[in-house]
Amino acid sequence: MTRPVHPGSAYQPTQLLWPMMWLVLLVVVVLVIPHAQGLFQWLAPEAREVIYQRAAFTQLLGRHLLVVGAAALMTITLGVLAGVVVTRQWGRDFLPLVAQVASLGQTFPPVAVLALAVPALGFGTVPIIVALVLYGLLPIVRNTIAGLKGVDPAVVSAAYGMGMTPGQILRQVELPLAAPVILAGIRTSVTINIATAALGATVGASNLGDPIIAGIVNANNAYIVQGAMVIALLAVSVDSMFEVFQRRLRSRTP
Amino acid sequence: MIELRDVSKFFDQTPAVEALTLSIPKGKFCALVGTSGCGKSTTLRMINRLLTHTRGQIELDGQSIDAYDPVLLRRRIGYVIQNTGLFPHWNVARNIGLVPRLLKWPTAQVNQRVEELMALLGLPVNEFAHKYPHQLSGGQAQRVGVARALAADPDILLMDEPFGALDPITREKLQEMLMQLQARLHKTIVFVTHDMDEALRLADKLVVMRDGRIVQQGTPLSLLQKPSDAFVDSLLGGLERGLKQASLTRVKDHMVPPGAHLAAPRVTTEQTLRQALSLMLRDQCERLTVVDPQDEPVGELSLDRLVKEAFHPKERPRDD
Repeated sequence: MTRPVHPGSAYQPTQLLWPMMWLVLLVVVVLVIPHAQGLFQWLAPEAREVIYQRAAFTQLLGRHLLVVGAAALMTITLGVLAGVVVTRQWGRDFLPLVAQVASLGQTFPPVAVLALAVPALGFGTVPIIVALVLYGLLPIVRNTIAGLKGVDPAVVSAAYGMGMTPGQILRQVELPLAAPVILAGIRTSVTINIATAALGATVGASNLGDPIIAGIVNANNAYIVQGAMVIALLAVSVDSMFEVFQRRLRSRTP
Repeated sequence: MIELRDVSKFFDQTPAVEALTLSIPKGKFCALVGTSGCGKSTTLRMINRLLTHTRGQIELDGQSIDAYDPVLLRRRIGYVIQNTGLFPHWNVARNIGLVPRLLKWPTAQVNQRVEELMALLGLPVNEFAHKYPHQLSGGQAQRVGVARALAADPDILLMDEPFGALDPITREKLQEMLMQLQARLHKTIVFVTHDMDEALRLADKLVVMRDGRIVQQGTPLSLLQKPSDAFVDSLLGGLERGLKQASLTRVKDHMVPPGAHLAAPRVTTEQTLRQALSLMLRDQCERLTVVDPQDEPVGELSLDRLVKEAFHPKERPRDD
């Protein structure tokens, strides 16, 4: 059978306008910062250096993305898997446990996770990824559970009645119908973690948090603004990409 | 042929169905009727093993259903439920083709079968194949539900209050459609409903249930004539029973050749005695002229005859 045509989901290039604009702005800012000495001198008149020099911003951005991406991959896998398990007949007993672990992960401050993780895992990117995974798990687990529980029981019952296997029902019916809700959870998780990842700078995971920490330590507002600006633009770009993705998904699941 | 012998179902310690014995011959339409919570849906769902019976034997064509893999068993049995249970993210064609695809039919054959079924159920392919369930009316959606159940040409069709959520006019249309389908396809149908009129209209065999047990079973006419107790009597409409019986009988079975003097009010041969009686009341007359579909007089019917004959029907109206 040919892929169905979805009314209202026709490809609309204008949908991509906002994420593209934010992305362009992000790239422009990253490239312009090293040459904007005048502007930043005005922000930190006392400082000898006003442009963060220890690493190029393109490099910091790349490392930041890598950390967030690796954490997101793990969080999504773990979170969706946990959500699926506890909504199965045989996994229902684990629902309170998983819900509690996930909320604990979010109530536990990432800074504290870092402090505890460093002695065990050493300095570098590993502790920050652990902290991000714990911190980002809750929205994904919660939304996966809500999404799967929100599927009309009559639909699932009919699916069984037609002779679908539990695996087929999960893949072909439950997950596609829960996808918009799950995606909303992923969006929240990833967007929050883009900002939270800056903490990695405190444990030697060099990323966009570096200029901010250096700025705080040296009382250099220009460094802080440079780091914060790029992080904010990155978060907004990614968030608006999720927005487009979500809208397209929603148009095909009424 | 569906055979239930001494079947019980307990949820924890509470019995939902107790010691139920029922035999549904091949090609017959059996309606399970009763108030809500009487175990009729539970009985239905045990047949395709959506529920496992606690005790007793359920056999399809002499083979115990325990011998089948439940998933494979269900692919061989059509299933229609009240709120259709259509997949909202699949279009009509994909929904209908579900079971054939599960059975790994070649794509061309699936597509052909889908078109066949849409034609059978009065859903023009061009108009409906690419629509989504939320774009359909209740009646259209349930037609798709029935088409999906029939897709792999199962011998058995289980229907759990399929028309319960529809407005009366649409419900009647779909009942008519189901009767026509059944006259062509001769499936073994188990139909759960709490609507006695629906059951009387459709069923070859009527099974009245109460508190998980069968109270009475038989043809609609036999129940109307001899309800076994006050419960069945009230379910059948109490004082209205006579009218219900009259509505199961057609004029053509009770008319006599036309006399010289034709009465003015006319009924057709296919109308029911109930409609004839209503006409007499409306037009305040005791005699009607019976006409064939071409409006030619072919007989007459008198009140006297109608009253005496209605209780001795010669033929069931559905067996034509």
